[in-house]
Amino acid sequence: MTTLTPPAPGTPHLTRWLIRLHRPALLFWTAVVVTVSGVLLWLGGPLADASAAAWRAYDACQASACRYDQAAIIHYKDVYQYATIAVLAAPFLVAAWAGAALTGREVETGTARLAWTQSSSPLRWFASRLALPAAVVTAGTGLLVVLHHLAWSAGKGRIGTLKSWYDLPTFYANGPVVVALALAGLVAGALAGLLRRGSLPALVAGLGFTGLLWYAVQLVMPHLWTTSTSVVALKRFAPTGGGLGVDEGIVTATGAHVSNLTCGNSENDECLAFYDKFDAVGWYRDYHPASHYWPLQLTATALVLALTALLTLLAFRLLHRETGLRKGRSA
Amino acid sequence: MTDTALEAAALGKRFGRLRRSAGWALRDCSFALPAGRVCAVVGPNGAGKSTLLALAAGLLAPTEGTLSVLGEPVGQARARVGFVAQDKPLYPQLTVAETLRMGGDLNPGRWDARAAERIVAGGDLDPKARVRSLSGGQRTRVALALALGKRPELLLLDEPMADLDPLARHELMGVLMSQAAQHGTTIVMSSHVVAELEDSCDHLLLIGGGRVRLAGEIDALLETHARVSAAADTDLAPHTVVESRTTGRQLTALIRPAAPLPADWRPGTPSLEELVLSYLRNPEAQTTAPGTPAKSPEESAV
Repeated sequence: MTTLTPPAPGTPHLTRWLIRLHRPALLFWTAVVVTVSGVLLWLGGPLADASAAAWRAYDACQASACRYDQAAIIHYKDVYQYATIAVLAAPFLVAAWAGAALTGREVETGTARLAWTQSSSPLRWFASRLALPAAVVTAGTGLLVVLHHLAWSAGKGRIGTLKSWYDLPTFYANGPVVVALALAGLVAGALAGLLRRGSLPALVAGLGFTGLLWYAVQLVMPHLWTTSTSVVALKRFAPTGGGLGVDEGIVTATGAHVSNLTCGNSENDECLAFYDKFDAVGWYRDYHPASHYWPLQLTATALVLALTALLTLLAFRLLHRETGLRKGRSA
Repeated sequence: MTDTALEAAALGKRFGRLRRSAGWALRDCSFALPAGRVCAVVGPNGAGKSTLLALAAGLLAPTEGTLSVLGEPVGQARARVGFVAQDKPLYPQLTVAETLRMGGDLNPGRWDARAAERIVAGGDLDPKARVRSLSGGQRTRVALALALGKRPELLLLDEPMADLDPLARHELMGVLMSQAAQHGTTIVMSSHVVAELEDSCDHLLLIGGGRVRLAGEIDALLETHARVSAAADTDLAPHTVVESRTTGRQLTALIRPAAPLPADWRPGTPSLEELVLSYLRNPEAQTTAPGTPAKSPEESAV
């Protein structure tokens, strides 16, 4: 009764059409990555050199009226700041796009349903919607992070106002946490697009989630690795322990640590009363030295990636629940 | 090749799981649609027609019951099923030609490019035109070309002709019918305009209040029902009364005869529209149809 030939085995080219449908976004992303990369190369090269030369001139200064290129120093600082913001904006850009355009708009306008009634299942459609963007986002953000790290490193020991490794924007723009955050933003946006049935709410949800996640990572990150502790006697200067501070306070006669973030070894009445109360003998500071940079980066990255995996699973389960094969429950 | 295109057993779909009582778009639907039929899914707006088609297309998972499509659990026959949604979604940024090329790429091994192009060409459409620039009718044409191009064994159409002018409607209906005749495609199309489907469909699925009110071959359904006129005090038992109305001393009724009817009742065959309207107006009427087990009136009450 039918003249159909048996379907030849073949794989639907979902990815080719994903690229076609999101060509403007792909071009935009490429332009952003190329531009910011260019700025970072410029920053790490000529700008850092000029700033370093100005700093050398400044450091060599003895007389009151010495000449150094102040403009070069300020220029480096400004461009560094903008470039760092640009790198840190990547996860938000990705999340907004994923929520609004990748899934949100398709679910809203019904083209998702059009795709689901071709020869591949909704789950395969969603997998194709995540796979290539994840690769593109990882490559782009990864490149930016590497270039940012190089540009920052180029100023180490040469530029007086160089941000420390634990300066928050610098810490994130320098390492893989931002790449993981961008992937989390991608999945969160895509999930929100499936969930909210509207591209604008999905955009907002994707952005909001990424912001909250980053905030949570900032709160948790210092506690992901065991801190180092430096101790000085009371009435000396507070211990400096150069690095990312986590906690500080007094050491009592029994050796116990009591946290106090306000006194900092100062001798006003309130603080003196506090020292007396706990029989303070010293001052401690828990901190992360520069050697903790990679452990902190990698544990935070692993944490965000684990959460991203969880979100991915959730999104697939949601889609499966909504459209998948399910044995009907009896009423 | 299975003989049943669509088979539902106690099928139900509820939206919004948080609400306890409300939200059933479809409930307790059981029917079987033989392959090769052109089936009209008829019912008032909001009756559950779109939900039923979306379930059959594998876009929604049933809340309860089962639905098999072309002999497979729904969703597994995706490659063999074509679907055109009511609002004819298409990617606005693609051209007509690109849309068809996408159909070929997403349905490898099944795509009939010439058939799809023929349908588009019938509407005098510029293949280079972007979908966003098309009129409603032109979009319908492209959406139909996309659905027919994959040479589906089952074609599900949700209000397919709603935004077409009479000429295009007639022409596209002709395309569909020749598709059905040539390839044995089962076509299921929903509409709330019965007259639109009467000439082209041979099977009826009447949905009202989320339930199947009537299902079967249209000819058989019409044969098993009779429109009668008798004196107002006539007892219509033992026949099943679908609808009866008394005007003065005259009783007119649509019944399902259980025995030969007396000649003075002046029995006549109802039109499809009469039949459909009678059932829709009387939700408590028994819903027995060929291939569907009879239910008590309480069960079928909406």
